[in-house]
Amino acid sequence: MYKSYVYKSEIMMPTSNKLKRNISGWLIMIPSLFLFGFFVWGPLLESIYLSFYSSNGMRIEKFVGLSNYMSVLEYPDFKAALINTFTYTLWSLVIGFLVPIIMAIILNEVIHLKGFFRVATYLPNVIPGLAIAMMWTFIFRPSNSGLLNIILKIFGIGPQMWLSNPKWTIPLIVFTMTWRGAGATALIYLAGLQGIDSELYEAAAIDGANIWKRLINITIPNIYNLARTLLVLQILSVFQVLYEPLVMTNGGPNNASLSLMQLVYRYAFEKFDYPKAASVSVVIGVLLIIITALYNLIIKEKDM
Amino acid sequence: MVRLSEKNSGIIRQFDIKRRNVKIGYYFLFLVSCIMVFIALIPIIWILLSGFKTLNEFVNESTFLPKSYDIKNFIKTWQLLKFGKYYLNSFYSVIGSVFFAVICNGLLAYDISKIKPFGSKLIFALIMWSLMIPSTTSIVPLFVNINKIGLQGTFIPLWLSMGANAFYVILYKNFFDSIPQSLVEAARLDGCSELGIFFKIILPLSASINTVVVIYAINAAWSDFLLPYLVLNNSGYETVMVRLFQFRTSIATDVDIIRAIVFSIIPPIILFGLFQKYIMEGITQTGIKG
Repeated sequence: MYKSYVYKSEIMMPTSNKLKRNISGWLIMIPSLFLFGFFVWGPLLESIYLSFYSSNGMRIEKFVGLSNYMSVLEYPDFKAALINTFTYTLWSLVIGFLVPIIMAIILNEVIHLKGFFRVATYLPNVIPGLAIAMMWTFIFRPSNSGLLNIILKIFGIGPQMWLSNPKWTIPLIVFTMTWRGAGATALIYLAGLQGIDSELYEAAAIDGANIWKRLINITIPNIYNLARTLLVLQILSVFQVLYEPLVMTNGGPNNASLSLMQLVYRYAFEKFDYPKAASVSVVIGVLLIIITALYNLIIKEKDM
Repeated sequence: MVRLSEKNSGIIRQFDIKRRNVKIGYYFLFLVSCIMVFIALIPIIWILLSGFKTLNEFVNESTFLPKSYDIKNFIKTWQLLKFGKYYLNSFYSVIGSVFFAVICNGLLAYDISKIKPFGSKLIFALIMWSLMIPSTTSIVPLFVNINKIGLQGTFIPLWLSMGANAFYVILYKNFFDSIPQSLVEAARLDGCSELGIFFKIILPLSASINTVVVIYAINAAWSDFLLPYLVLNNSGYETVMVRLFQFRTSIATDVDIIRAIVFSIIPPIILFGLFQKYIMEGITQTGIKG
């Protein structure tokens, strides 16, 4: 009812008024749009532009076609970074994706101390990412002073190498990221779970569905769409992991944890080769688009 | 105290609880929750407690609890690393960021939600789309541009960057959509300008969403590292996070760095303690992590 009123009033509005509103509307928007242009949209397009040019420091010199891309792709560290980045993403699907879903389902069931549980598991999310990376560097210390080795000592196990063991570097970094984000992601799922109609469970129970069947047939299908969206967002963000390898391992040991985004950082802010940094960013962008497209394709086929 | 027999949410219902193995199952889930909380909190507690340790104690004794809880160690580190100055810098960066986060994103959302000029739908689509664009991918040209217009070493880019946040625009727009259009129309008929409507009517009506955005902006500005690092490195205006990164490779000892980490995480934790209701609300309302 209310909507139809708005609709009418817009139709009856005299043209001069409409024009006035359009003008004042745009005037108000311009400062904010300028900021979006400067900080978000502009730099993105410039990344593409910059990747085709050579430069002397910050001054762009001449069009070089694909040669930045060629030398970036031939750079030995690139292959390591590419493989590592996919490894990060894979591990984050193994460690990071299911943890928040399971957490949310459990937190939704528990009624004792539920406020405390939600607040406490969310807390890591408000701590700055850089501080978390540095904090976990101390926890993963290979010497006796690291928290994990202190805990292991209680069980009579000797100190482990943790981050300096190339096999474990990426999983441990992914664990750190999950530690930080899981509580907040669980909260999103929790909101979804609470949107499920209570009567569905009652009806299923009357029909003789046990707890396990209710979980499989009601709970999971109801958060399926949410999980799908969050999965894409997770892949997008893990693919660009930077802080953790930069701070915790600096890409080591022996490039075992070097990520593509860190390669951008190295090109730009250690070698001051901005066009090559831009080319790697574009490569990351293209890979992300391909992954998202493939993902949507697979999901759609499944739905049909 | 909540009684288990009154449980009327989730998969497990009241009538299930009568069965003994379901009851045991429930307490098992309760135990798992306790373990989750333990994993979430123990690293934070450990780093706070380690701040009390002396260097020798931290490196050689390898125990969980410190020997004494003397606050003097913290004061010494605070003075040694001159943290007061960096707290003040972070404070400046936070204040300006909050101002632009509220005004610019709020105005844009008001425009899209209530004025709806020609083309605003497309603009909103672009803004939604930019949520998918990783900020880090465009960091190089952004850094070059900031340098070119000579804003390096100032807080201005940090302040302004908070004025272009898709997440806050969406938060505001969702809220403004629930304010009746008739209220805005009435003000227009009375001759109020669009800016006047925003500042005199919309903002005062939006206290709850403003609280959410302000808290998020404070936390984001405090926690941000990469852009402040690129803009403020070696300018004398480094924020707490930038300094923390620099300490990593400086002469500071391990325990000094641990105390620096503690100094950097205490303000967000206090903020969270005071406003956790609002912080968690923002997430559940939009399904986006701030």
